[in-house]
This record gives sequence, C-alpha cells and structure tokens, in this order.
Amino acid sequence: MSEKEKNLFTFIDHDTIESERIIAPRYSYWRSVFRVFFRKKSNWVLLGLFVLLIVGVFIIPMFAPYDPNENVTRAQYFHKSPAEAIRTFGFSFKWILGTGGFGNSISYGIWSSAKTSLLLAVICAAINMFVGTIMGAVWGYSKRFDQVMLVIYNIIANVPYILVVTVLVYIIGSGFWSFVFALTVTGWLSIAYFFRTQVMIIRDREYSLASRCLGSPIPRVISKNILPFQTSVIVTILARELPYYISMEVFLSYIGVGLGAEVPSLGRMIQEAQTAFLIYPWEFWPPVAVAAAITIILYVLGQNLADASDPRTHM
Amino acid sequence: MTVMLLVFSLIDRKVIFQTDDVWNKRSNNERTIYEYTQYQKYGYLEFDNYATFVQQKYRGLYGDSYTKNPDFIRDMAVVQKPSEYLENESVKEFMAKYSAKGYNIVYLEPLTYNNGRVKPGGTGYLIASRERSVFLRLWDYLKGFITIETVNDVKDPELTDRYIRIEKDPYSGFFALVGSGTTHKYLVYFDGRFPFMHWNWIHLNLGVSYTKYRGQQITDVINQPTGELDTRLVQYPALVGTDKWDESAVDFHKLAYNNGELSEMDKELFNDKYTVVTYKRKGLSMLENSFVIGLIATVFAYLLGIPLGVFNARNKDKLGDKLGMWYIIFITSVPALAYIFLFAAIGTTLFKLPYAFANAEVKILAYILPIISLTLPHMGSLMMWMRRYMIDQMNSDYVKFARAEGMSEGEIFSQHIARNAIIPIVHGIPANILACLVGAIITERVYAVPGVGNLLTNAINGHDNGIIVACTVFYTSLSIIALILGDLLMAKYDPRISFETKGGR
Repeated sequence: MSEKEKNLFTFIDHDTIESERIIAPRYSYWRSVFRVFFRKKSNWVLLGLFVLLIVGVFIIPMFAPYDPNENVTRAQYFHKSPAEAIRTFGFSFKWILGTGGFGNSISYGIWSSAKTSLLLAVICAAINMFVGTIMGAVWGYSKRFDQVMLVIYNIIANVPYILVVTVLVYIIGSGFWSFVFALTVTGWLSIAYFFRTQVMIIRDREYSLASRCLGSPIPRVISKNILPFQTSVIVTILARELPYYISMEVFLSYIGVGLGAEVPSLGRMIQEAQTAFLIYPWEFWPPVAVAAAITIILYVLGQNLADASDPRTHM
Repeated sequence: MTVMLLVFSLIDRKVIFQTDDVWNKRSNNERTIYEYTQYQKYGYLEFDNYATFVQQKYRGLYGDSYTKNPDFIRDMAVVQKPSEYLENESVKEFMAKYSAKGYNIVYLEPLTYNNGRVKPGGTGYLIASRERSVFLRLWDYLKGFITIETVNDVKDPELTDRYIRIEKDPYSGFFALVGSGTTHKYLVYFDGRFPFMHWNWIHLNLGVSYTKYRGQQITDVINQPTGELDTRLVQYPALVGTDKWDESAVDFHKLAYNNGELSEMDKELFNDKYTVVTYKRKGLSMLENSFVIGLIATVFAYLLGIPLGVFNARNKDKLGDKLGMWYIIFITSVPALAYIFLFAAIGTTLFKLPYAFANAEVKILAYILPIISLTLPHMGSLMMWMRRYMIDQMNSDYVKFARAEGMSEGEIFSQHIARNAIIPIVHGIPANILACLVGAIITERVYAVPGVGNLLTNAINGHDNGIIVACTVFYTSLSIIALILGDLLMAKYDPRISFETKGGR
C-alpha cells in the first residue's frame, strides 16, 4: 500500500459503549398493537360506532330520563305505532319509535335499558376477568393448588352454567347485584381454567425455567415472564365475555328470572314485547337491534384487538 | 349434588304454596296443618297430629267401633280447650312420646285471624314435628333414584305363582320378558315404535313435582305421550285366539298389577290380575318432542357445518370464507333470542309456515321452524371450529412435508388435514346428541313446542322445587355421561390416545 493510499484511511478509536448500542428501531409493545389495529380501515369504522354507542348509552339517558310508568294510566296511548305516536305527540325524538304496551317511550327505553345491560356486562366481565386471571395464574403455576382446583372444577363445571345461574337467581331473588353475584360466583372458573392451561404452557418454557434457576422469586416469574405473554389471551377472553353477558341477561329476562320490575333492561323490553311481536313490531325489534348491534360491535372489535395484541402480527 | 343441597336448603319452602289453590282456600289453623302435611309429603319434616295419634290409640284399644267411645270423644275434644288440655292423659302421652324423639311440639290455639284481628273460634290443633336434615333428604332422594321391579313387589298373598321368564308376546308376535309378582306384567318388550325395545323393568325416579304437575312423578310427566287417544282394533288377553275384537286404545304392554278386587268385566277380559291399563296416544311425549327436533337439527348441523368449514378453510380469505366468517360472527355474537325471532318472523311471513306448535294444522310443518332455528347456530359453531382446526393443521410441518413429497392439494386435505382436524369435533358428538334430551329453552318457548326444554324455567316461575332438583340431577348426569362417551369415542377415533397408564410420570 502506498503512502497516498494510506492517507485515504483514518484510525478510529474503539468505543466499547458505542459498540453495544442497538440500532434497530425502538419496539414498544402497545404502540405496535395500536399500529396494527388501526392499519385496518374497518376498525376505524367500528371504533367510531363504539364511541357513538358509549356516548348514546351513557349520555342520552341523562337528557332523556326513561319512565316506564309515565302513561300507565292512559290506555289510549298504549301500543302506538311510530306514525300514530308522532301524530299524537308531535314529532320528537321521544316518540319517534312509537309507544310500548304501557304507553312508554320506546326510543328512551332502549337507551336506558342498554345502559343497564352494558353496565352489567362490564361489571361481570371485570370481576370474572380479575378473579379468573389471578386464580388461573396461581392455578397454572402451583402444582399442589392445581390438584385441589381440578377437583373443584370437575364438580362445578359439570353442572350446566345456565342451570347454576337460573337456580341462583331463583334462590337469592332478582335484582341488579344478585344478578351480578349469580353470573360471577362460578363464572370465573371457566376463565381460570382456560388461563391455567396457557400459563402451564409458558411456565415450562426454557427461558422461564432458566429464570427460576437463576433465582427469580415466584411473583417476578409470574409478572415478568408469564403474564406479558397472556395479553392477547386476556383480550381474546374479554372479547368473548362482554357480548356473552349481554346475551345472558337478555336470555334470563326472557325466561322470567330477570333483573326485576324496577330495573329497565334490554332483556326485559324484549320479554314484554315478544308475545305480540308480529302485531306490534316497533316494540320488539328496536331493543333486539340494539342488543345485536352492541354484541356484534364488541365482539368484532375485541377479536381484532386480540389479533393485534398478538406480537406475531407486529412484523 | 351441590346445587341440590342449595335448592333443598336455601329456597324458602313457603313459595311452593304461592300457586296452590287448596292453600289459598284454607285459612287459620287449617292452613297451617295443610302446610305441615305438604311439607311432610315432600320430605321437609316429620309430622304427627294429635288427632291421628288419639285415633290410632283408641282403634288399638277398642277396634273399629272406637269412635263411639266416650273417652275417645273426650280426648279428641280436649284440644279445643286451651285452659285444660294439658291435664289430659292422652295429651301427656302424646307429648311424652314425641319430646322423647326430639320433636318440636306446637299447640295451635282455637283462634281465627282476620286482617290482624284475633278472635276466639275455629279449631285447635296439637301437633308435633321434626325437621329432616338436608343430608337425610338427599339420602332419601338418592336411595329411591333407580328402582328395579322384582317378583316380590306385589304384596298380595293370593298371588302364589311368582316368576320372571321369557314368553311369546301375543301383541308383537315376538318374545318378551314377562313377570308375575312384579308391578308391570311386561318387563322388556318389543314393538314397532321407536326405539323398538322398551322397558318397564327399571325405573328412574327423579322425584315428585310439587306445584306444576301436583304430586306426579317427573319421569312420568316427561314420558307421557300427549294428544288424542290412539284407538285400534285389539283383543284383550283372555280373548286372544278368539274372533272377538274390540275398539280400544289400551296399551297392553303397560299392564300393571291390580291390588284391589277385580270387577266382573275385568275377569272376563283378563287372564290374571294385571288389569290396570294405560292408553296409547297419538302424540309424542315431551321428551320425544325435544329429542326428535334436537336430533334432526344436530344431524343437519353436522352434515352442513363440517363441509362448509372445510370449504371455508380451503378458500381462506376469499369471498366464500369472508361470507362464512360474517355468518359465524353474527351467529355467535348476537343473542340467540334475536335471531330465533328473526327466523320466526321470516318463516311465518314469507313462507307461511305455522308459528305456534299447538295451532298448527299440519303437525309436520310445525317442526320445520324449530329445527331450522336449532340447526343454524349449531352449524355456525361447527363451521367455526372446523375451519379453525383445519387452518391450524394447514400450517403444521407434516403438511409442508407432504406437499414437498408432491402430493396433490386434494389428497393432502382429505387424507391428512381433515382427518386430524375432525378429531376434536368427534369429541362433541355424544354431548350434542344427549343435549337433545335436555331440549332447547328459547326455541321451544318461542314456538310453543311441548318439550322438556322449558321444564326448568317453568318450574322456577312456578316455584316447583321438585322439578328444579330433578332437572339439576338429570342435566348434570347427562353432561357427565356425555363427557365420558366423548372421551371413549375420541380414543376410538384417534389411535394416539389411550386411557391405559403408560410407565413414567
């Protein structure tokens, strides 16, 4: 190499700190989740609908207080079709969907009812998910606890869930909180069982084993090694649970073990209108449509979020 | 069992009277006495009335003419006098007897209650009762759960010839297991009606209905055929072989033993004392109704759901699969109630199908909508799982290997993927078939099908604790049986699974 060629090169000091730096783009889990989630155009639409729904369910009842007994003494207002109701009361949001069997406003009724149903679903899902995931994590992790819990699970899971819920509501009486109790007292068990299997799979992976051998305490292994893997599992369960409790409320009200007369709910509105649903269709289809819309939106949104929360889709 | 204990212990027992006419008609002490007798009947407590006690005592002393005995009349009347009844010898005896047994003795004073005002009058009672514990009642229930008829069932000393043997059955032309001394004459018999082989020998005793079918056996309630009498030309047992034919609906296979005296006509018509008859009816029983609808729907669901799931998996992300996915999303997320009513509305308005079961002129047409309503959601879930399992299998290594070997896509799908994917589906078949016995709650209610699906819900609305317990036991045992059968079927289908313990841990 000639002197001239040597001048083309300069020496650089060896920098140990610089050489350890990773140049790959920063990876943030939740940012990636939302990036993948919002890449799909349909999710924007669904999310928009969902926000509208939440606003509708929680804001509308504030301005439109629903009183089912408003016209209960005025028989001339019973079972008015939308056209007749608008003719009688004038055009307003309140009477746009007609009146029910006791002269009650259908359009106010569906929002107050949807609020009850949604609240019920959220509370039950929250309780069941909370208890279910914690119990499931312990259940999947501890082998001794597993033996005890499997026996309990086999006893309870063999009794059909619907039977447990109906019998419980029958025994403790109807009402919002007894409903919550009936739906959650054994409801967490299936979630915990599902979660247990997922935890077991991760528990025996090599990296988890290595972490244990290096002396990580159990809470740390659970919270750092196992739980991060379960985010998509939790979201998947949540996507299934929320619509499920709404359907459950509709079903239970329909068979007559509902929330009780004083609480308006979608199931109750459907139950009251179902006997004559061919004669007074405007009383029957709005609550059914609202229930269907809520469950479909929650289900699809949840499924898509669950897909997005799976790290394998983040590429 | 747990639920049974809950039902037995927690439900307010008073609710069983809410729809009871007798209870509503009675008042004052008579109502209390009625409550106690009903509680005793349903096993809540053991109970004795002083009046019965005195009657028994004097019948023992003086025979059948005890009613005219002055001591008896005095002892009977003493409970109407609150001031002096404690002095009476019989009362003391009664109290001593039952307090020794741990009974709780209650004296109901002769008073009447009217809108909170208490007046003297009415009849007084002295009663003793003892609560039965929940566990005792559970034991009673389980003890009588299965009964098998034996030759010593009939307690008639006149009957000397007791046997169980195979005889020729004159009504089917086939053989039947015939008993003498058993409650029913034909224990096992065959005829042309599904399921062709019938039992009178072994009875499943699910308990007694409290309110809805007052006092009836629940097993009978769900098995009793409904509808018109099925009248045909028949020959009574004693006339078989002659040319005398009668028009009647008697089911000769269900003849039961008559413990009383035979009438002249019975002696002419029957050879033996098995003369208690039941009638054949044209309609199906509650259980059969539910089972027929459920079974047809299940068969359709499997026949349609599995091929559609395979189709969707093969055309993943194409138009057909997307349509299928939207269908699955709709069926799984929307409340069942909503789409069943949707089907009902479409079926009745567009296709003019009968809506309510009872009003249908052509009975067969009434089955169509319930079957559709049960098939479509079941088909949706089968489609979903079949597609899921197929896609899981499609990504596995052995499929890539098979493709590398040069197998055609059709071969890979039919020989490898479908075979592996169907194994978890097979596991659910017994559960689905047995679930038909439970009936479908919403479908049966919407179309007013007289089936078993609404037994539980109606029982809950009618406060019928007996049926609630029976349903719990029935459903739970069915789901356990289904689970076991499913495991066995899967082991048969999948050579990798075996229930024998292999060595190691």
